[in-house]
Amino acid sequence: MPIYEPTLPPAPDLTQGQPPSLVLMRFDLTRLWRQKIGRFFGFAFLIMLLVKLAIIYVKYLLGSNPAFEPMQDFAKAVLPQGPAFQAGLLDPAGYLLWFLVALVGGGLVARDTLYRVRPLMYAHPVRPRDYLLAKVGFASALPFVVLLPFVFLPWALSLMVAGLQGPVWPTVPLRLLPAIALMSLLMGTLAVGASALAATPRAGVGWVLGLVLGTSTLASLVHGLAGFAGAEALNPIVLAQAWPQLFVGQEAPLLGWLSALLGTAFHVVLWTYLAARRTRPSEAVI
Amino acid sequence: MIAFENLDVRYGAAAPPALKGLTLSLDRGIVGLLGPNGAGKSTLLKALLGLLRPFAGTGTVLGIPLGAPEAARLRSRIGYMPEYDALIEDASAYEQVAFWGELSGLAPEAARDRAHEVLYFVGLDESRYRPVSGYSTGMRQRVKLAQALVHSPELVFLDEPTNGLDPDGRRRMLDLVLRVHAELGTGVVLASHLLGDVERVADQLVILDQGEIKAAGSMAGLRRVLAKRVELRFLEPLDAAQEAGLADLGAVLEARNGLYDLELAEADPVAVFRWAQARGATVVQLTPRHDRLDEVLLRALHGTPVRGTGLRPTPPEPPRPDQAEPAPEDAVRGTGLRPTPPEPPRPDQAEPAPDFLPSAGTSAREER
Repeated sequence: MPIYEPTLPPAPDLTQGQPPSLVLMRFDLTRLWRQKIGRFFGFAFLIMLLVKLAIIYVKYLLGSNPAFEPMQDFAKAVLPQGPAFQAGLLDPAGYLLWFLVALVGGGLVARDTLYRVRPLMYAHPVRPRDYLLAKVGFASALPFVVLLPFVFLPWALSLMVAGLQGPVWPTVPLRLLPAIALMSLLMGTLAVGASALAATPRAGVGWVLGLVLGTSTLASLVHGLAGFAGAEALNPIVLAQAWPQLFVGQEAPLLGWLSALLGTAFHVVLWTYLAARRTRPSEAVI
Repeated sequence: MIAFENLDVRYGAAAPPALKGLTLSLDRGIVGLLGPNGAGKSTLLKALLGLLRPFAGTGTVLGIPLGAPEAARLRSRIGYMPEYDALIEDASAYEQVAFWGELSGLAPEAARDRAHEVLYFVGLDESRYRPVSGYSTGMRQRVKLAQALVHSPELVFLDEPTNGLDPDGRRRMLDLVLRVHAELGTGVVLASHLLGDVERVADQLVILDQGEIKAAGSMAGLRRVLAKRVELRFLEPLDAAQEAGLADLGAVLEARNGLYDLELAEADPVAVFRWAQARGATVVQLTPRHDRLDEVLLRALHGTPVRGTGLRPTPPEPPRPDQAEPAPEDAVRGTGLRPTPPEPPRPDQAEPAPDFLPSAGTSAREER
């Protein structure tokens, strides 16, 4: 116990603070850091990235070194070429990235629900849209940040070793950045919407995985039964794979521009709306 | 500090009103919001915070209208300690108090400094780096109080701050509440269903039940009246003349088994002994009845006027056909208390002017 009764100094300045969304995102980042899940995913994504870089170097050697000329036909048969190779730089946007987004995004809103801190947030100068922006922003920023090295490191390596004629197009960042932005927005909104439906972080992970796999199955069923290929636009996994293909101009992409646009818009609007409904103050108070 | 008129709050347009046409004005000080569970105390606090939009009526908090676009800005001037355990279990007290400070508008560095200061103020300086999941109930309540104070609000809403605390923890929490007002000059609205808590710290009292204000007034006026309440017992039973003579001392509120519950005309117990000496009676028991505050609460809840307290019960609404009137005994079953039957006010004891909104020179501590 202190030897004298403590008291508080004068009131601090309340005008120097950061926007509430930024404060919330920083706090979520601290929480994520504490969970230590980055070790596994960091290692896994690093291995994938190294493999990508190795493939690029091999492609460079195949194209530039006469000693490898006999292997070129074999390499063309094994490795994707042209636009498909450029789009393939984002292959990690497969199941592992979805799993990371489920693991992190599934708890973003559900953890606040479990600890019942959301009403207290709204008792501060935090509006529901600040809260939603913070959660969707964080859930979307995570896959975006993970995918950035998959765009820039192969591109930089290709430029370094082979200049403008390298295996990675010099314009790849311009094509893939919008693609990963749309993929991240899709993943983030879906994760936050699913997390808003859950009462605990673990349930949130289940909700995200359930919704991703459930909508994928539904889309495949409709596609298979009705023969309507556009139904695949409901499948978030296919949507995430389709955007890089569309932006690099790959032949026969998984979805057309219109289907991908409508499918992504459908998911973003639906999950954002659900998250907004589930995190409004009256819901939080009750 | 707070004023509202015909405030009506509902959880949904089709839902019955949780607060029914409340009209009240409160001055800066410590306001006790008293009422049984489900009376509407927390709902009123949430409405004042802007978390619930009023269905009807108007109101202002710190001069800002309820439901106005500036409501979000208003919340940086208000602290809120919720009733439930709104703690981030995987964070330390220091981390979360700093976080709430930042959300209130403090710069990150200032919030961290302030978190140390306010945790020291509430007595959690030694354990501020431990995750709150390992805290005792008393420590958790103090973290909640710290987060409500971190940005030095002008007004703080404390919703059941002594929930789950042992007597010593309760005493320390209420001491903190008193210090918050006395040292920091912060207005306090304390919602509780515990009479003793409100009696100890509040200088204004609002009694809520079923979404209605049953009574409101100053604790000073109430205490003045309670100081006149005594319980008397005599060595020998009083004869009829002596019993009639008791009226010289004041109003006899209840007489049973030789025990007289009196409201003295003056708060002067010596007058009782003088009276007994003059009439040949021997006083063997004279007990001040400060505990009669619970009776005031019960009377207010039943819509019965409380003579001389300055507490004005609001007129009861006619019962709805789907809601049967509960028997008066029902409200006090299990408490060991029986509400006294309502008495008509005597002409010689006119209702004094209600001193609701005490003058600036009067404080709860002066009264104590």
